[in-house]
Amino acid sequence: MTVALSDVLIGVFSTTLQLSPFYLFAGMGEVVSEQSGVANMGLEGIMLMSLMTTFVVDYMTGNPWVALLAAIGVAGVIGAFFAFTAIRLRVDQIASGLAVYLIGLGLSFVIFNTVYPSGLTPNYIPLPPLITNWNTGPPALGIIFLKQNVMAYVSLVLVVVTAFFLTRTSLGLRVRAVGENPKAADNMGVNVNKVRFLATLFAALTFGVAGFYFAGNFVPGFQTDVIAGRGFIVLAMIYFANWKPYRVLFAALSFNIVYAAQSEFVSLSGFGVASISTLFNMLPYVFLLALIPIFGRKARAPKFLLKPYKKG
Amino acid sequence: MRANTQGLRWLRATAYNVLAIGLGILAGLLVVVYAGGNLGVALSSLFLSPIELAGGSQQIFVRFVLFYTMGMGVGLALKAGLWNIGAQGQLLIGMVMVFVVYAFLAFLPWPVLYVAMILGAALGGLLWIAVPTILRVKFGANEIVVTILLNVVAINFAFFMLSGPIKSAGTALGFPHSVELPAKFQIPGIVSSVPITYAVPATIAMGIILYLVVERTPFRVKANTVGESHETAKYAGISIPRVMAVTMLTAGALAGLAGATYIMGYRYELDIGSFSTNYGLVAIICALVGRKHMLGIGLASFFFAYMTIGAESMALSANVTTYVVFAMEGIMMFGILLGNYLTERRYAG
Repeated sequence: MTVALSDVLIGVFSTTLQLSPFYLFAGMGEVVSEQSGVANMGLEGIMLMSLMTTFVVDYMTGNPWVALLAAIGVAGVIGAFFAFTAIRLRVDQIASGLAVYLIGLGLSFVIFNTVYPSGLTPNYIPLPPLITNWNTGPPALGIIFLKQNVMAYVSLVLVVVTAFFLTRTSLGLRVRAVGENPKAADNMGVNVNKVRFLATLFAALTFGVAGFYFAGNFVPGFQTDVIAGRGFIVLAMIYFANWKPYRVLFAALSFNIVYAAQSEFVSLSGFGVASISTLFNMLPYVFLLALIPIFGRKARAPKFLLKPYKKG
Repeated sequence: MRANTQGLRWLRATAYNVLAIGLGILAGLLVVVYAGGNLGVALSSLFLSPIELAGGSQQIFVRFVLFYTMGMGVGLALKAGLWNIGAQGQLLIGMVMVFVVYAFLAFLPWPVLYVAMILGAALGGLLWIAVPTILRVKFGANEIVVTILLNVVAINFAFFMLSGPIKSAGTALGFPHSVELPAKFQIPGIVSSVPITYAVPATIAMGIILYLVVERTPFRVKANTVGESHETAKYAGISIPRVMAVTMLTAGALAGLAGATYIMGYRYELDIGSFSTNYGLVAIICALVGRKHMLGIGLASFFFAYMTIGAESMALSANVTTYVVFAMEGIMMFGILLGNYLTERRYAG
């Protein structure tokens, strides 16, 4: 059996572009939130709730855009609650993040199971690809770059906007100031906890979008624990990216290239499901781990990350 | 006067914890009743099924051993300010190691192999946590990120081992599973009528030993100082890398050991049903509820063992998914954290 190298490469790159936006949405939100000093470890729980909401609302209305709005809404409510406990009540962020994760993990399936006890659901209506018939230019470009749905391109724009926001706008500078030195920011008249609340809420909204994106691009339907740790991986990517948006883009793309390459390799090699293939599934994570001694050394978290602020 | 305030504070904190747990249970009951379950049946499954001799009581002690063993490790690392989110991964590696030793050191005589299986599990957990420990101590890499990453790797690794090196020859089709350990490699029950194994007294003994070693020696102060402030620790001449390494490696070894007790004392074989149980997260809750105290974690573990078994059978009694228990645990954890906030606020300053 011979497989054209170009087909393999097209497969790898188009999978990379299909999967990366999930990490980019959540990554941009978490970068902004962590830059302000609040880490939301419960992101995967919020994503599970949004993912479940996406499926249920999409099944009921047949309209993916309504599902997107609902997913963002659910994420916003949970995010606001988390932000209130972490910022106003100064509860330990890691512990309350894990609590959010557990609630999302359990509640998402309880609700889904209540709505569809038999597991039988209508068909999921995804967002259409940006361009369905590509007639001009080399077909590879069309397959790789234009067959994704519009949210994939929105995620790339979000990276640029987030980078610009954090370095070039006054609110972005305030976000970084309250994460780096809340006392000084406070003295300069910045409402520390308000900025943090906005940053944390923004993060939750992006988790909602990520959960929505997951539905159309990762799985055909909702199951228990279906995100399977991918949400937590976002935290690792941000760490390697040293809390910089463009480097999160780099981390997400390279992680997914490794992921796509190994899954392409496994499917071509015909190992079958239950053997060496699982060893290859570890590669993208081991790849991230191997980056630590290289990038982790210089990584410097915002100085007041995880530290609540009390005026006075 | 001072003692009185302390006592009041303890009472208040306990009251909040009870309230938080009640809130979680209430949420679970609401779901069950909404799904059409009978309130009386739900309540009796919640409170009574865990102590039924036939089924629940064995489960309680299995989970108590799991939560307590892992929770002590999590609590120990927390004293030094380190979050071991990876207890689930280390637990899984411990389970795998039992069968690796059993398969590859089979030439050893029985008692030696038996001990080697238990020690191998602990060693597996220790090696698994050695990665984040080294990255933390040598490169300053965040242990939360690395332990989370390794949880995903552990599941894939365990699946690989299960589908190849430690796979039972009996699984030609379907999901792979390991061989079943023969009776002489199982942890025996203390009395035949009550299904409590020797793992239970062994775990309690280990808890007391750790209490004496950790809480009653200068080590407690050392670990707490590192946990509070690295600058103070440096000033006091405490070796920060050493405290970090000791607490983290112990935590990994304990979680691996928990894997051995789970397999050798209860499951006897490994299949993917044991992969995503989230016991590692419950161990974190137990460590927090037990206030990182080696004996307090034991009480919390017993309670959560009882509660999770009861809540699961409550869910099943009304045909509700057992995933409701995760939501209940999350609500309890939130409640406990809020209770801590209210207690601290009252007694601050």
